[in-house]
This record gives sequence, structure tokens and C-alpha cells, in this order.
Amino acid sequence: MRPIVSVRNISKLYHVGRPQNEPPSLRQAVTSAVRSPFARLNGRSSDDTIWALRDISFEARPGEVIGIIGRNGAGKSTLLRVLARITKPTRGEIDIYGRLGTLLEIGTGFHPELTGRENIFVNGTILGMKVKEIKRKFDEIVAFSEIERFLETPVKHYSSGMYLRLAFSIAAHFEPEVLLMDEIIAVGDISFQQKCFAKVKAISRQGRTIFLVSHNLASIRTLCKRVLLLRSGRLHEDEDIEKVISLYINNEEDNGIGASNRELNR
Amino acid sequence: MYLPAEPLIKIRARRAFDLMNLREFWQHRELLYFLVWRELKARYKQTILGIIWVILQPLLMTLVFTIFLGQLVKVQTGVTPYPLFLYAGLLPWTFFSNAVSSGSYSILASSQMVTKVYLPRLVIPAAAVIVRLSDFLVASVVLIVLMLYYGVHPGWQLLLLPVLMLELTVLALALSALLAALNVKYRDTGTALPVMLQVWMFASPIVYPRTLVPARWEWAYQINPLTGMIEGFRSAFLGLPLNRQALVLSWAITIVLLVISLFVFRRLEDDFADIV
Repeated sequence: MRPIVSVRNISKLYHVGRPQNEPPSLRQAVTSAVRSPFARLNGRSSDDTIWALRDISFEARPGEVIGIIGRNGAGKSTLLRVLARITKPTRGEIDIYGRLGTLLEIGTGFHPELTGRENIFVNGTILGMKVKEIKRKFDEIVAFSEIERFLETPVKHYSSGMYLRLAFSIAAHFEPEVLLMDEIIAVGDISFQQKCFAKVKAISRQGRTIFLVSHNLASIRTLCKRVLLLRSGRLHEDEDIEKVISLYINNEEDNGIGASNRELNR
Repeated sequence: MYLPAEPLIKIRARRAFDLMNLREFWQHRELLYFLVWRELKARYKQTILGIIWVILQPLLMTLVFTIFLGQLVKVQTGVTPYPLFLYAGLLPWTFFSNAVSSGSYSILASSQMVTKVYLPRLVIPAAAVIVRLSDFLVASVVLIVLMLYYGVHPGWQLLLLPVLMLELTVLALALSALLAALNVKYRDTGTALPVMLQVWMFASPIVYPRTLVPARWEWAYQINPLTGMIEGFRSAFLGLPLNRQALVLSWAITIVLLVISLFVFRRLEDDFADIV
């Protein structure tokens, strides 16, 4: 089967701190431009850079649920943000043969003064749904989130659980061909989490592709048939997901809390 | 599952040279609608004072200028009574200045959205400007009351109102996009703006007629796109003769500003999520 997502040689460079010849204010930008009009054309001269992603390539096929794991700062979120078009790669290219949905945060664009009903429409369109689509799925979204009685209540009066359930429910009912999720599967209480897991599995059975960033290896094991490990911006993968997971765990021990634990045990 | 032959989304390190992706913007028209709707809904829910303030702001300014310029300095405005002359200029100006103020902060204020979801970023300043159109409509009621009081009625020039409204909105959007983008990169942009707007207001024929301007300053009024627009609004509301040449010139300058603004916005928008 043809891939639905094709990632080729993606790299992302971040400038840490402020590059030396970049003025912090408009006033300084204008004065320095007047003084030396061609200085900016020479480019940056800052050494404070980090390659958050280094030459990443992979393909994803319809129906795959792909877990992305790695330590903090390994580049997981950067990879999702590049895939989501929130930020641009420094090098490389990506082709996606379908609609893309991003769930990097729950309840983006929720307005506290608006009711649950109103926020379903606002949040839905921000996520990329069409109004027709929202109307069609409205009852399902409400039923899944279990907030029927509070549909006409401003969300500022919602409990945090209700808020999360509604937000997740809207996003889960957006049915893009490719869905990106960042650590948000673990919302709500146990029974709602079970519902979320079932929903993710149902989405993949429909042939939709899901990328899931998580630190929770248990949920990665339950949901994913494939795992990508990021280490300092580089990609590691193996047919056997247990091998990738153990690489991740051992890597953690090599230069993190694990190392100091070993010393203590000695 | 059916896969299209061509990718729906192509992500490339370099962007093709274009001013804006019109097709993409059009695809997100429902989003634009709901961003405007969200602001209006939230505003009218929160306070009734919000609506009163929309009328009060130009009304208080009219009162102050009528006392100082109308009564004390006795600025001559021809056949039109000074308060009516003034309000017909303040009404579009208030929309413009409020639209540019909120538009220039719109990207910073929506940082949560910019960093968490993809959308054509131009819809954010566009929504901020369109929200202010509702203020214009509300504040127009005062103009109608003043016109009835002074017994002034509009002529055929009123037909030009949609064209003028479009032009003013386009100019506000152009400046909002430019300043919103600069504001993300250089945070002092927003600090400088209120002073700039104040200067611009007095450099445009809003509280006084253009006839008072000395000939050697005439050029400054010609390159100021608001000159033609403000005079156009007065002509449309009060049935005064129309200065066609000034109107055409202001359209030309507005279009040039729009092109420059879209270009700058496009250049800077890729970095919004990384620096906002």
C-alpha cells in the first residue's frame, strides 16, 4: 500500500538565545538598518543553535498507530509541530496524502464565557472541521463527552474533567486521515480513558493514521504497532517495538536518573 | 482507504514566492466567521457597558472637539454644522484606529492558537479588524440622530459608502497584518503605536477641514490615504461634493500598502510559532 505520510530528510534548527546581529526592538532595527543597510544580508553569526531534528525520514501507511517516544528535549514535540505545519523544517520535505488533524493541546480557542454548545463550533472550526461536519456529529460529540446537561452553561463553570472531556470529544470526532496527538490521551478518569483508548483503536480501524507522543509506555504498548524513538533529534526504529522501548529505557539509564541510581546501589 | 495521487499537504523548507494563499484563506472562511462570532458573542455577553462605550468613545471626542475647536477656535466647516462635520469624520476614524490597535496585538494575543494548531495566520488579524465593524454599525446610530437633528440628508454619494467601507477595512487590515507581524518580532511596535495613531489623526482632516491646510503641506495630505477616505465618508453621509481624484489616489496608496504588508507578513509568519 502507498504511504499516506512521507517524511524525507527533515531537519530543524533552532536558535537558542538571541542571535548577535538581531536587534531586539523595532527602534534598534530601524537605526541599525539606517547605519549599515547591508549588514542583515550577511546572515546570522550566532553559534547558539540546536538541531532539534536531524535528517529524519520515515513513511506511514493508512491505519497505522505510531508511537513517538524519547526523553524530554529529544525532538518529539518538534517533530509533531513540523508535521502539523505549525513550524517549518529547516531542511527536507513532507508529503501528506490526506487531511491532517492536530491535537497538541486540549481546548484550543475555547472561550470561557461561551457555552459548551458554542465552544464546540469554535473549537471544531479551529481544528479544521467544516460547520456541516460539526452539525452532523454534534450529538455524538455531546454524548461522548457526557456533558449533555451543561450544554448551555458557559465553560468557565465547568469542572476541569468536564472541560477536558468536551475538548477531547470534539477532537476525537474530527475525522482526518492523519491525526497527531501529544500526550493528551490520558485525560479524565479511568472509565473515560478506556473510552479514549477504544476511540483511538476505532479511528485506526477506519484506516486513519495516528501519531501519538507519550511518556506512558503502557499506553504506547496497548495502542501502537510501531514505535519511533527520538534521541537528540535522531530517529531510531526497529521492527520489534519492545527492542525500541528497551533502547529508550536503557538510554535513559545511561545518562539520566538511572546512572545516579546505579552509583547509589554500588 | 482511497489515497489521492497528489499530496494534499506539501511541507517544504522553502516557501514559494507569493503574497498570500488565497485558496487556503477561502477554505478557512468558516474559521474566520467563527473567530469573529466568538469575539462578538463574548463581548455582548460580558457587559452592556461594552456597547455603550462603543457609542460613548466617539461621542465624548465629539463633545470635546466641539467645545474647543467648534466654539472657542470657531473652525469654519462651510454649510455643515461643526458637530456633524466632526462626527462624520470621527466615526470612520474611530473604527480605523481601534481596528489597527486590536489587529496589531492579535497574533500575540492568540499565541496559544498559533503554537498549537495550523491555520492561515492572516485570519487572526482579519478577524480582529472585522469585529470592529460591528462598533462602526452601532456608532452610526449617533450619526443618524445628529443628521435628523440638523436636518441634513445624504445625496447620491451615499451609494459610495460600501466602496469607502471596503477601502477603510482593507487599509486597517493591511496595517494590522504588518504591525501584528512586527509586534511578534519587535515587542516595542505595540508601544509606539498609540502615539503614531494620535499623530496620524491630527495629520488627517478629521477635526478640521482640508481647506485650512497651508499649500506647502498639501503633499502630505495627498499621500495620506485617510485624506481621501475621510472626505469621501463626509461626502457620502452629508451629500457634499465628491473629490474623485483624492479617492482614486487613496485607493492606489491603500493597495500599495496592502501588498507591502502581505509581503512582510508572509516573510515573518513562518517564525511566529517559534518566537511568539
